[in-house]
Amino acid sequence: MDAASLYIGTGNARQLRPAARLVVLNEARQKAVLPSPEELIGLIDAVARTQDRNAFARLFGYFAPRVKSFLMRSGLEDAAAEEVAQEVMIAVWRKASYFDPGKAGASTWVFTIARNQRIDRLRRTSSRTADNLLDPTDEPDMPPSGEDIAIVAQREEGVRKALESLPIDQLTIVRLSFFAEKPHAEIARELGIPLGTVKSRVRLALNRLRTLLDSDI
Amino acid sequence: MTINHHPSDETLMRMAAGALGSGPALVVSVHLEGCAVCRNRMAHFEAVGGAILDEMPPVPLAADLFGRTMERLQVVQQLQTKERSVNKHPELGIELPRAMQDCEVGPWKWLGPGFKWSKVKIPGSPDEKVMLLKGRAGLHLPAHGHTGLEFMQILSGSLADERGRYFPGDLDEAGDDVDHRPVVGQESDCVCLAALEGDTRLHGLLGRLLRPIVGF
Ligand SMILES: [Zn+2]
Repeated sequence: MDAASLYIGTGNARQLRPAARLVVLNEARQKAVLPSPEELIGLIDAVARTQDRNAFARLFGYFAPRVKSFLMRSGLEDAAAEEVAQEVMIAVWRKASYFDPGKAGASTWVFTIARNQRIDRLRRTSSRTADNLLDPTDEPDMPPSGEDIAIVAQREEGVRKALESLPIDQLTIVRLSFFAEKPHAEIARELGIPLGTVKSRVRLALNRLRTLLDSDI
Repeated sequence: MTINHHPSDETLMRMAAGALGSGPALVVSVHLEGCAVCRNRMAHFEAVGGAILDEMPPVPLAADLFGRTMERLQVVQQLQTKERSVNKHPELGIELPRAMQDCEVGPWKWLGPGFKWSKVKIPGSPDEKVMLLKGRAGLHLPAHGHTGLEFMQILSGSLADERGRYFPGDLDEAGDDVDHRPVVGQESDCVCLAALEGDTRLHGLLGRLLRPIVGF
């Protein structure tokens, strides 16, 4: 079947609960060896400062399999997903000095690179376009302050907590919204629920995230 | 400058997810350039993407992928610095936002009495319906509704309708629930960047005005 079936959390809403639990279990098991958000930032910094190949190898080991997974879930075939994942990692190497931990966490930064590469792939445009459109201000400027970095870390943590607190049906819709350029109507078809339900779940999920935002500003 | 009109949560989430067409995304990018509040909102939505990436179940890679990637790094040229070209279209009489620097912008063309437009081409996305619009001070636009989403970022001057007044920096997102009768402010001409989403044959005012002229 399609790449969608590789990722638990689609197709049949009834399968979601045990599947979601499985992900949590897997994550718990891997936690010991997974680099922390601070370590990931340090690794990108090492690549930027000294072209540290060992640091890059660790970034590759963490991100490449997840980026590929994300791209497959977004509808790319295995080979294409791997090719784009490689491009993403090359961009991580080349753009490491542009990474600003005072603006985004490491995974968020890599996500935006993967997202832009996916846009280019699907729309067959050059990466300059997507990059310029989505990050018109990504120039290295002042080094980030410790305060900025702390604010970003807090934001990343807050967003993760807010996502965890979402009911599974809302979380599913948010995930699906990030996986592909799918209009809500298509998501509704895929999940076998009415379009109105998809829209109201999106609204509920966004309200939840908004509560977080409002408490944050 | 206080900005009172912002893109919706839905729109920013779609933008963060990479699911917004490049036309509307351009309009939102111009808004983000001038709106710290929305840059912060956008950062939250992008962080949602980061969290989703973190929780993706890792899939196996070809055994030699890392080696091949390292080989490519040897030959990859230095990242060219983005050349920041100055406004290529001085005849428009306005300074274009940075987010538009790669766009091709045509000259002003007549669209109606006191009403001009200029086609905006986004590299790689020739079919997007994006344009600059210029209305004379005090111009009354006909009342109209919308069938798709219409994104409009005010660049200069002002616009008012039943819902409020729009100043430079404001973004108006008008969907099918919006019927309005916009009026250009008396103080000066109004220039805005607009993008249409969806089937423009069904679009309201802009679709009707532009269709015969540009074949949108
Ligand atoms: Zn705003």
